[in-house]
Amino acid sequence: MTTEVTVLYFAKSAELTGVKSETVRVPSSLTSFELWGSLVQAHPKLSEILGQVVLAVRQEYVTLGDQCVSLQNGDEVAVIPPLSGG
Amino acid sequence: MCEEVGDGPRDLVKLTYDKLSTEEVSEAVTCPSCGAISIFIGTTRNNFQGKKVLRLEYEAYEPMAQSELRKIYGDIRRRWPTVRHICVHHRLGVVPVTEASVIIAVSSPHREDALQAVHYCIDTLKASVPIWKKVGTQNKRYFQLGGYGKSEIYDTDECCWKQNKECEWA
Repeated sequence: MTTEVTVLYFAKSAELTGVKSETVRVPSSLTSFELWGSLVQAHPKLSEILGQVVLAVRQEYVTLGDQCVSLQNGDEVAVIPPLSGG
Repeated sequence: MCEEVGDGPRDLVKLTYDKLSTEEVSEAVTCPSCGAISIFIGTTRNNFQGKKVLRLEYEAYEPMAQSELRKIYGDIRRRWPTVRHICVHHRLGVVPVTEASVIIAVSSPHREDALQAVHYCIDTLKASVPIWKKVGTQNKRYFQLGGYGKSEIYDTDECCWKQNKECEWA
């Protein structure tokens, strides 16, 4: 089963993809690494920041790995490069 | 204890493209029963990695920055229960050198808690709040004209995204 989510790109990741926001269709249950993989498939340049990136799903941080992510239509996913606030 | 009606503990967050005001942040946490207001101001430095900084430019995942800051406020209130009001203003967009990019203020009856809470707040903000800054630096080269000393050439400005050392995935 698939679902449609909004993906937001920030900072370096927005420069690499050339977009700040898009809608993508992904499986509704997958690992965080698989979710990342589907974004890289659409935007190969994103692989440049592998190792220095996490995701946010429904505004909660998710590291790239085996943890299962459940997604519903309209959920918000964000690509989060290393922070530099303050 | 500050128990005036309608004056419960305040948790204030503002993300703005406008110039920040220390007075505004200080007034936001003022409380008659608090003898201490501790304030941290983060400003744009004129140098980064040995280069001259022209500007910083900030962007934020705004709704998540708000929610992460409120988590920090919850931590602060658990660790320092006497803290009364907390206020963070963070600027977005271009911040010129010497201007404030972040102002944090905390009030408490006595100074120890406010001081420690502000320190904790900026350290944790840098580790966990989804805000990014791009540093614009000047790339300067020199060339020698015969025996007449050095002249400067300015290449195109460089930009790079800073990474806080506090961030676990930096």
